[in-house]
Amino acid sequence: MESAKQILLFESGNELAAHAAKQINYHVMGYYPITPSTQIAEYLDQMGADGLHTIALMPAEGEHSAAGICYGASAGGGRVLNATSANGLLYALEQLPVQSGTRLPMVLNVACRTVSGPLSIKGDHSDIMYALNAGWIILFADSPQEVYDCNICAIKIAEMLSLPVIVAFDGFFTSHQKRNSYVFADDASVQNFIGPVKRENTALQPEKPVTIGSYMNEPDLMNNKYQLHLAMQKARTDIAQVFAEYAQLSGRMLKEIKSYQTDDAEVILFVLGSAYLTARAAADKLRRKGKKVGVFTLGVLRPFPAEKITDLCKKAKTIIVADRQDSYGADGGNMSLEIRAALQQKGLTPRVISRIYGLGGRDFFEEDALELFESCCRENAPAFDYIGVYPGEEHFKPQPFFNAVTESENPSLISCAEEGGKVTAKGATVRDTTARPKRLAPGHGACPGCGIPVNVNLLLRGMEGNVVLLFQTGCGMVVTTGYPKTAFKVPYVHNLFQNGAATLAGLSEMYHKMQQRGELPQGDITFIMVSGDGGMDIGMGSALGTALRNDSVILFEYDNGGYMNTGYQLSYSTPMGAKSATSHLGEKQWGKTFFNKDMPRIMAATGMPYVATVAESEPNDFIKKAAKAQYYAKNYGTAYVKCLSACPLNWGDKPNTERKVIAAAVNSCYFPLYEVEQGCTSLSFDPEEKNKKIPVSDWFKMMGRTKHLCEEKHSELLEFIQQEVDLRWNRLKAMAGHPAL
Amino acid sequence: MKPSETFRERKPYPVSLPMTNENGCYEMRLESIGGLGANLCGKLLGELGAVYLGLNAAAFSSYGSEKRGSPVKSYVRWSAPEHEILHNSPVENPHLLVLFHHALSKTLPVTAGVNENCTLVVNTDATPAKIREDLQLYAGNIFCVNALELALKSKSRINMVLLGAVAKASGFIPVEAVKELVRDTLGKKYPAMLAFNLQGIELGYAGVTNQKFIPDGRFQKTEYREIRSRWGYKNAPVGGVNPHFGSTVSNDLSPSREGFIPLFLPEKCIHCGLCDTTCPDMVFQFLPGEYRNKPTMMNRGLDYHHCKGCLRCVDVCPTGALVSGKESEHPDKKWFVRNKDLITDNLDFEPQGADPWITGESYLDEKRVDGGLM
Repeated sequence: MESAKQILLFESGNELAAHAAKQINYHVMGYYPITPSTQIAEYLDQMGADGLHTIALMPAEGEHSAAGICYGASAGGGRVLNATSANGLLYALEQLPVQSGTRLPMVLNVACRTVSGPLSIKGDHSDIMYALNAGWIILFADSPQEVYDCNICAIKIAEMLSLPVIVAFDGFFTSHQKRNSYVFADDASVQNFIGPVKRENTALQPEKPVTIGSYMNEPDLMNNKYQLHLAMQKARTDIAQVFAEYAQLSGRMLKEIKSYQTDDAEVILFVLGSAYLTARAAADKLRRKGKKVGVFTLGVLRPFPAEKITDLCKKAKTIIVADRQDSYGADGGNMSLEIRAALQQKGLTPRVISRIYGLGGRDFFEEDALELFESCCRENAPAFDYIGVYPGEEHFKPQPFFNAVTESENPSLISCAEEGGKVTAKGATVRDTTARPKRLAPGHGACPGCGIPVNVNLLLRGMEGNVVLLFQTGCGMVVTTGYPKTAFKVPYVHNLFQNGAATLAGLSEMYHKMQQRGELPQGDITFIMVSGDGGMDIGMGSALGTALRNDSVILFEYDNGGYMNTGYQLSYSTPMGAKSATSHLGEKQWGKTFFNKDMPRIMAATGMPYVATVAESEPNDFIKKAAKAQYYAKNYGTAYVKCLSACPLNWGDKPNTERKVIAAAVNSCYFPLYEVEQGCTSLSFDPEEKNKKIPVSDWFKMMGRTKHLCEEKHSELLEFIQQEVDLRWNRLKAMAGHPAL
Repeated sequence: MKPSETFRERKPYPVSLPMTNENGCYEMRLESIGGLGANLCGKLLGELGAVYLGLNAAAFSSYGSEKRGSPVKSYVRWSAPEHEILHNSPVENPHLLVLFHHALSKTLPVTAGVNENCTLVVNTDATPAKIREDLQLYAGNIFCVNALELALKSKSRINMVLLGAVAKASGFIPVEAVKELVRDTLGKKYPAMLAFNLQGIELGYAGVTNQKFIPDGRFQKTEYREIRSRWGYKNAPVGGVNPHFGSTVSNDLSPSREGFIPLFLPEKCIHCGLCDTTCPDMVFQFLPGEYRNKPTMMNRGLDYHHCKGCLRCVDVCPTGALVSGKESEHPDKKWFVRNKDLITDNLDFEPQGADPWITGESYLDEKRVDGGLM
């Protein structure tokens, strides 16, 4: 193969993964945003908007579905891409053996990040090690350049072996670091290297029908898995062959195992990922002092290059294996365990020292590598330990700042009464409820002007007595609970946003059960889940399940129309036409392509006793509905309350104007205020009647994310959106006017 | 294996690095708060080195959640083309340190790792001598530039002005190379802004004043150190459980403000409570009292420790009792009232930007200048 022309770029791992994908021109990418891998989809969306590729980008409502999209697309015979991290990988994990067991090739980029909980977004290898048993080939890149190179090789390897391939690299350290990198000047160089797509069995050939995904009993299944094993064996030579061909094209040789100064080394340090380069610098320093030390790393984790490792280590006296994750209870991370096993198999008996470092994105400085070399060479060095942990201040006792906000601390301000199937709340005024102690402390880290604390506080003003809060993952959770501080003055639980409603249902049930058994005192607690609209995408099933069981909880949604915590990717509640990091504007694109999800109607369809929409621009109405939600949760079951919540950062408007922006959304009937009590709909505020109705464009032009929709060239689209807004509003009015609806 | 044909699309400006550390690198650190464009500035400096100056370069930021107003650190390493950059860790001893916001000096150890060879570029209207006092700086060559004023004057952005100032302060970066970079990158993305941005660079280049300070024993060196919490593996409650409820109250959020605060005129207040419904930061202190001969909840004032200056309250106040004012003109605030629910007088405030993490790649992130959209 002839070498091909390349150009210098200054790009990050994520940018280069996207660049490679664009040059491969995959057919389909299914994805769900999760830091730090999200940028790959974002860059591809931008390039798609600019007409640079023709990949279909499909935003799923969760990683499990993203993996499903990829599985279906790869069953069709074309080229398929995905990108994820951390709990995204774990949420998709169930689908990984399905993909490999049925032998459908695709490529998954994993920008490695620590797995929750406690939640952290930074990089380590605790996610990728879960994939070791999934039957996927796993390449590991230690620099942005290698991310590019591995991505191009990955699709070729996948198709040669009919196996899916993961390209893994360090989150942030590699995914977000920009470096001098070379890419092929012409996409054709990449296309020629990988060749045309050729797949034998697909689900898109009616003339040649095949069944993909048989039910299998034991002997057949065993044979099927042996085939997978054989494919992994074959991969050892196929990968080497692809790497060699790629070296001819690019001048860069990818390797299954990379080493530095190991030939005569007495002490060899193994590290994976970006830390390898830093460790090399440390080895240089020690070599200058006459110490015989070396470093090695792996470019391929599956199939595991055991023989190459034992070859490299056969003369060394000490092997230090530093893992950026722990296989808890096994006295080593997974690389430690596998390297030890490889050495044992060859009868090699060097001293092997295992160390855990750099969890949760803790930086790995050259000094850390030097310290590893020095401390592990001591005679009495333990075989396994963590580096960099500290015991804390011995006599530290944080002083209390507040009294807990319990029922006795909380004045009774509101009373609810029921008449003719309707509940009314009295005393829930803005002025009087300023007497309610805040359940959230100030000093949280939300952006200036953020709507989340505004809305949560308004909701809590309507709540008498004790409350327990559960926040699903999102901005609201991140800005209130950054360790070692917390803003909450009442009991609080976080769970990942697929699962908050179910978690709270379990907690609420435990409360009642323990009361029944006399293990907790009688009394009342109101259980409230707080979620963003992102949480109501990925966690919709859990929320619907809770509503269908009619558990005694309140589900509160702050809808800021996007995944703001990860940098504003589109959610299903983002307005149609709005731009976001995954719905860019460009020659070929005009923002989000489908309508905002009508979540209150979906919830109402469960038959739950109370559904309400609220807006901060109508604070009295808001507090009353909060009080009613508490009444319904106590007496009837699940209540769902949804507000539109301002995000000045990503809406592209000024923080001080947000209440007016919210009012405009209400007045345009984009976000109508209404209730569904025991199945019956009533309007809380009719902008037409009050002569306040405005076209939706008057709301759109207040925000940077939507103001382009008011330009002449988007008039048809705007008209289309206005029609949908009118349709939903008219339907709502009709329901409000009907006694059975 | 024959080396592949690689090429540069442009001929780099010939430069040689005036100094490097033992790893062969010239290192820069940019200290900022989210929204001022430090992240972009770091990336541009990296690209400048890689593409326009013919160097090896690396650029990255301390990353976190996508928040505005929180501390950002951006790191850039340059080395000679034949020298591979190995380190992926933060820059500890910068040759060049850029402070995007004068106010940062009072809150964070932004000058950690600075030694006498360091060049500092500070966005401020103060003099180098004043800055040295504020920073309690051991030594270094301080270049001051009023980037906010020059950004407004040129209708460009703070980071453009600072790029120009960095070129000047470095002593070896050709300003022409910086302009070419901006023409090729931002100029293509936002063509309408190009002329303003180029002018911003020029004003920054021409607008610095500097003074060099030798180690004279007045201030100590600050070592670069990891920030540690007081809970460790021996005393932290297991599972990350946090029993210290309401503890964010000890955060002082004033560094999040961008020059403006709400002023309270109690004589105009009708105690309607609307401000308290719009404040995201629980700043207003309502206590029982008597208004127009009726017992009622009354607005007694604001706890400015937690005010981020969003001015939502000014917008909703129906009587003009809350108005916007320049913070610098109101050092004493009669209506400053401590959070009424606190049960301790003994509170050590910890200055914080909005979120202890930082802003990332939000698509609107780089288009803002102090409080407003471009």
